[in-house]
Amino acid sequence: MLLPLVTGMTFLAFAVMHFAPGDPGTMFMNPDTRAEDYVQIKNNLGLDKPVIIQYFYWLLNVFKGNLGYSYISGESVFITIIERLPATLILSVSSLILIFTVTFPLGLIAGFKKGSYIDHTITVLSFIGLSIPAFWLGLVLIIIFSLKLNLFPTSGFLDPALYSASFFVRAMDVLKHLVLPLATIIIGGVAGLTRYHRFGIISILKQNYITAAYARGISDRIILFKHAFKNAALPVITILGMQLPSLIGGSFIIEYIFSWPGMGQLGISAIFSRDYPVLMGTLLFSSILIITGNLIADIAYACADPRIQYSKK
Amino acid sequence: MNRISLYAVLLLMAVLLMSCGVSDNKKNAAGKEFLKLRLNAEPALLNPILSTDVYSSEVEGLIFNGLFRINSDLQIEPDLVKNYNISSDYLEYTFYLKENVRWHDGHKFTAHDVKFTFDKILDPSTNTVRRSGFIIDGKPVKFYVVDDYTLKAVLPEPFSPFLVRVSMQILPKHILMKEDINRAQFNRQPVGTGPFVFKGWKAGQFIKLERNEDYFGEKPRLKGVVFKIIPDTNTALIALEKGEIDYSLIPAKDFKRFQHKDDLNIFRYQQLQYSYIGFNMKNQFFSQLDIRKAVAMAVNKEAMVDSVLKGFGKPAYLPVSPVLWACPDDKHIEKYSYNYEKSRQLLNRSGFVMNKKTEVLEKNGIPFEFTVLVGKGSKTGEKCAQIIQRYLAKAGIKMNIRVMEWRSLLKIVQEPVKDKKFDAVMMGWSLSIDPDCYSIWHSTQYPQGFNYTGYINKEVDQLLQDGRREVNIEKRKEIYKKLYINIARDIPYLFLFYPDSILAVNKRVAGLSEPGPAGVLNKIEQVYLIEK
Repeated sequence: MLLPLVTGMTFLAFAVMHFAPGDPGTMFMNPDTRAEDYVQIKNNLGLDKPVIIQYFYWLLNVFKGNLGYSYISGESVFITIIERLPATLILSVSSLILIFTVTFPLGLIAGFKKGSYIDHTITVLSFIGLSIPAFWLGLVLIIIFSLKLNLFPTSGFLDPALYSASFFVRAMDVLKHLVLPLATIIIGGVAGLTRYHRFGIISILKQNYITAAYARGISDRIILFKHAFKNAALPVITILGMQLPSLIGGSFIIEYIFSWPGMGQLGISAIFSRDYPVLMGTLLFSSILIITGNLIADIAYACADPRIQYSKK
Repeated sequence: MNRISLYAVLLLMAVLLMSCGVSDNKKNAAGKEFLKLRLNAEPALLNPILSTDVYSSEVEGLIFNGLFRINSDLQIEPDLVKNYNISSDYLEYTFYLKENVRWHDGHKFTAHDVKFTFDKILDPSTNTVRRSGFIIDGKPVKFYVVDDYTLKAVLPEPFSPFLVRVSMQILPKHILMKEDINRAQFNRQPVGTGPFVFKGWKAGQFIKLERNEDYFGEKPRLKGVVFKIIPDTNTALIALEKGEIDYSLIPAKDFKRFQHKDDLNIFRYQQLQYSYIGFNMKNQFFSQLDIRKAVAMAVNKEAMVDSVLKGFGKPAYLPVSPVLWACPDDKHIEKYSYNYEKSRQLLNRSGFVMNKKTEVLEKNGIPFEFTVLVGKGSKTGEKCAQIIQRYLAKAGIKMNIRVMEWRSLLKIVQEPVKDKKFDAVMMGWSLSIDPDCYSIWHSTQYPQGFNYTGYINKEVDQLLQDGRREVNIEKRKEIYKKLYINIARDIPYLFLFYPDSILAVNKRVAGLSEPGPAGVLNKIEQVYLIEK
């Protein structure tokens, strides 16, 4: 199932990309050059051939394990992506874990104590968190924690002077660089998910079986953690499944502000420079992840909810 | 499960707090004597014959040498050549190369490397936009190795920008000979002859160079240079304030904030650029000189420079920068300065009448309305367009602004069809130090080429050809003066302004060159850091 799905996705992407106006041949503007130079480059890159043929060549190479070469840098697309992947993963995986660990208890409390001061405080805070734009928050964090308090570096991933340092020193330096972008992502992410989780808990607590459990005299604690929690986790699993592709896609804004060397910047600049091979490479990676994400979410459903079963057809 | 994650978070935070103190000291010990520069974006690749972005060339400039280099007076001076001869018919150039030059890997630099580089540019399978620079009237320049340190170039026609063209940086033949140059590993691990040796490139992070201890020229005083890739300007400005970078351009709006900072020197200089609105000369209105004149006179460029550029620039009237030798004396040039009354008269004389209802001029019932294309991403461009829109509205001309993604805009403007689908377009040119502008103004460069507006003037064509053939600099000056007078009079472009650069440099950086379009690090060998 995976193969035709990915092929279809990439074909659509390829077609959309090629029908967008502009092409890589028009990327340079310099009066010392001539139009024929650009035509020659286009032909060298095979852009004079029909789109369907270009796609066929691309697909053939992908099956051979070759994602092609960037039009702009001439570098192998696979290496280009792999170089950027660790930074993106460090940021996205750690932010996801932290967001979930913070969100679950917050949503649980807010939902369980609906209407209380705690709930109101959490609600107000999460609306504030939701309405702060990331680019503004990021800059404010840089100004306060980097410029004024001098606790963290403004931006970047690893200090250039430390490249030959020991693994431990390097890991520490990356951690220091990680704090501010991570905080920026978490503040926005926690706010959104807490709302989601709170609503889940509230609607579950209204169900008849919970009322029945109360009637049987079961304690709050057991109802909440044994009966409600698992059910409220279902919608969150859905979100987690949807989040998986964005784990690798990276966040352009965060990466841009903090000079974080991840995939988000790569994808966006590939779009603006019409660097088709790089764009197709990132699309291929993320379409595989979308499909895997859905698969994992489905499996997790089955674990969380025994009613859901997948029959063999 | 929850408790475990909580512990993990606490542990992480503890480790983080601990780490704050640890690595700061180490960094300072190892980082000394490195000049820290900022790049706005990742360079595409470090191969001077392939790259076209300014970020690549900023780095390449420190790793490679050309036969000539451009100094801060915007003149060429010998770099890899000892001296050179030009035959009396200006068709044969003989270059005598320096003999004590070595590549960073220890190999000797010879004339074979030079020939290899130019032959690679001429090779159609190389993805370079520089090929046409070495093809004159359809025939390529030929390069011959006379001996290891002598190279001869034979031109099919006299071509005065030739010495500027051969200032192209030279590649090592022994490394690239058997490689596909478009995809070579070399492009990310360059080996040059220049004052700095390539040491490392981390994608999206930085590029590190160290002093070339065996440099044939003056020894660099810096231990090395680190280029940090910081895309966001606001972040870069904070990094500059904090001393994480030594050098950054400053947007005009932030000038006041940095003006009086104790640890920064501020420099200001004119860039080799001009911006303009190009009129589509096939447009029913813009095909008439009087109407173009009227549009030009309806816009107050001085006020625009003051408001949009905060005074950091000059109004433009010519397709050449005032800092170049070819720029003629102002008094010969028709400026079409802001003159509302005269603009109105010209429009009335062309048969336009004001429609009282719409407040837009009309001719034979057709309103004077057009759309200008503006590239997305340039705030300056968008603001200028809005100001021009207001001035034109006052004059009874309706100008619509269409902000477009850059590639899509170029596609419309560059499409090689007789009737291009735009009325006007706002763009800018970066200029070379040679005044040759054949590809922008010659009638053969339309519809395929950079003469987007479709400007056709026989005299201009002739002057452009003469300007390329004439070698005497005084005579060239005369030719280009005539050319500029023609273009200024015909206004195929509404020239807008020459922008200034504002540069902030940490006071610990010394040995800077005279500020100018070539920057302040023009003799990088002389730059050093004052250690505190």
